[in-house]
Amino acid sequence: MIAFWTLAALAVTSAAMIIVVRNLLHAVLFLILSFVGIAGLYITMSADFVAVAQVLIYAGAISVLMIFAVMLTPRSDRDNAGNMLQAPALVLSGLVITAVSMVAVETDWRLADRVAFESTATEIGDALVSPFVLPFEIASVVLVVAMIGAIVLVRED
Amino acid sequence: MSSELNLDYSLLTPEFCLAGLAALILALDLFVDDFRKSWLPYVAAAGLAAVLALSLGWVNKESDFAGLLSVDNYTTFFRVFFMATAAVVALVSAQFVQDKLRHPGEYYALLVLSTIGAIYMAASRELLTAYISLELLSFCLFVLVSYAKHERRSNEGGLKYMLLGAFASAILLYGISMIYGTSGSTFYADIAAAYAGDTSAFDLALLLGLVMVLAGLGFKVAAVPFHMWTPDAYEGAPLPITAYLSATSKVAGFALLLRLFSGAFMPVLDDWQWIVAALAAMTMVLGNLVALQQHNIKRLLAYSSIGQVGYMLMAIAALSAATSSALLLHMTGYVITNLAAFTCIIAWYNLTGRDEISGFRGMAERTPLLAAALTAALFSLSGMPLFAGFFTKFMLFQAVADEGFLWLTVIAVVMSFVSLYYYLLVIREIYVSKPEEGEERLPVPALISGLTVALTIGVFYVGIFPRHLLDVAEEATKLLFA
Repeated sequence: MIAFWTLAALAVTSAAMIIVVRNLLHAVLFLILSFVGIAGLYITMSADFVAVAQVLIYAGAISVLMIFAVMLTPRSDRDNAGNMLQAPALVLSGLVITAVSMVAVETDWRLADRVAFESTATEIGDALVSPFVLPFEIASVVLVVAMIGAIVLVRED
Repeated sequence: MSSELNLDYSLLTPEFCLAGLAALILALDLFVDDFRKSWLPYVAAAGLAAVLALSLGWVNKESDFAGLLSVDNYTTFFRVFFMATAAVVALVSAQFVQDKLRHPGEYYALLVLSTIGAIYMAASRELLTAYISLELLSFCLFVLVSYAKHERRSNEGGLKYMLLGAFASAILLYGISMIYGTSGSTFYADIAAAYAGDTSAFDLALLLGLVMVLAGLGFKVAAVPFHMWTPDAYEGAPLPITAYLSATSKVAGFALLLRLFSGAFMPVLDDWQWIVAALAAMTMVLGNLVALQQHNIKRLLAYSSIGQVGYMLMAIAALSAATSSALLLHMTGYVITNLAAFTCIIAWYNLTGRDEISGFRGMAERTPLLAAALTAALFSLSGMPLFAGFFTKFMLFQAVADEGFLWLTVIAVVMSFVSLYYYLLVIREIYVSKPEEGEERLPVPALISGLTVALTIGVFYVGIFPRHLLDVAEEATKLLFA
């Protein structure tokens, strides 16, 4: 329980800081912190493989990519600028937060009626090749499309 | 459990062939030095036609792949539908891509790959498969919309489409997680079973999940209030891709909605029916009223297609066997008509470089065939008798009214009259305004003429003999409500 609340507080606070800080680079650093917090939450739910993937891919690879993107952009074009829509956005996100948290508290969530997996990596692997082989294959086509698209749009000609 | 799964890969043959076709197009583009790049659209169209013929082998067969997707008449209907659409779009792209865009190989490959996503959106009976197929279609469209990368509008439209699309996907996924949390499954049949009993223990989460799923999918089909990307993406995209957006991306969204809501959410009809009805009403009104003020033909058709989405959403709101077959009929008529309109607009743009509504002046003198076909298509879109639009709308409105949504039908009929006004504005430019001095008749390529004539015949065929197509549509939707 203590672990859960600490990690949840870490994830939520750093997520809030992403929006609050003005410097975009600091925002990315807070984003990494938030990713790590979420990875911790996965561990408390004994989803160890997802946690490792979260750290490796999100906290690792994607954040590095983002830092590169931020560093390579001229300073005047980045950083959070204020504008007229701040107040409505605050109201809207406040409403969404209230609605979602109310739902989360009120609902009688369906709990999985099975024992914990011994190791999640093998289970995920089995699921990916046996029942969910098709979405797995479609995902590979999606990656091909993303790659072709990135090359076509960025290539100089 | 895994031993009982039906992992019959032969069911997926058409899509494997499509992936192979895309690879072939890329390879031809890359390796064959003296290969004429202008042949690529014909290779793509011929390949699509061949796979289309192959997929007809599954007519009246019913099977499923590991419970993830069904191959039944519904799937076969949409396989034919999407491949035919993509083939027509490939053909009308030929001249445009050669003149205006670079990298034709990737263009046609993405076009072919996107049909796989569209087909599986219609076929899937499981939320994750449906989601990843939706992403496949969306990714292709993001790239294709920004394909004219040296034009600011194309970049702007593509970027808006991608950012809002990613946002909508996130909302859709969150909604799916709510559905999973309350039903304990991502398979449509299991979700329906879980919701069949008492849902009061989790009705708030269910409602939130439904709202989020509707918001995510509403974005993909451009329903109000999730339509903001549509005019910019339509205007920025290369013209053939605008045609493709208005056809495949919408129809695929509705194919998914229809299977999902009839297969999984039917037991909780009361929770979502009013939301969809409200969305339909807003979409019809806003789409048609804003279309009145447009000066660019692409933006006009963007808003008019938003209005059309409103009519289609009515069928989801009043979901039943009758409305869903009417929806399939209406979508077929709409897509044939829209492709006919866009074929003329693309040909006119290729010849004159104009896509403002005022730029259509003198079209009747300079290209009489295109002018007549475009007029027929616009009349059909507004729902004039004899054309496809009249009968398909009539069937749809009648089916919706029979389900007790008379007020929606009234709005739809009024909005159809509004739409006639802005279509007539275009027709006035075509026929009443005279060409400027020294503008001669223009030569229309034979292929485009043939395609225009074929599509226009299609418009009349659906309008005069709708029974044939309606029978097919009824056959296709029969299993949804079995």
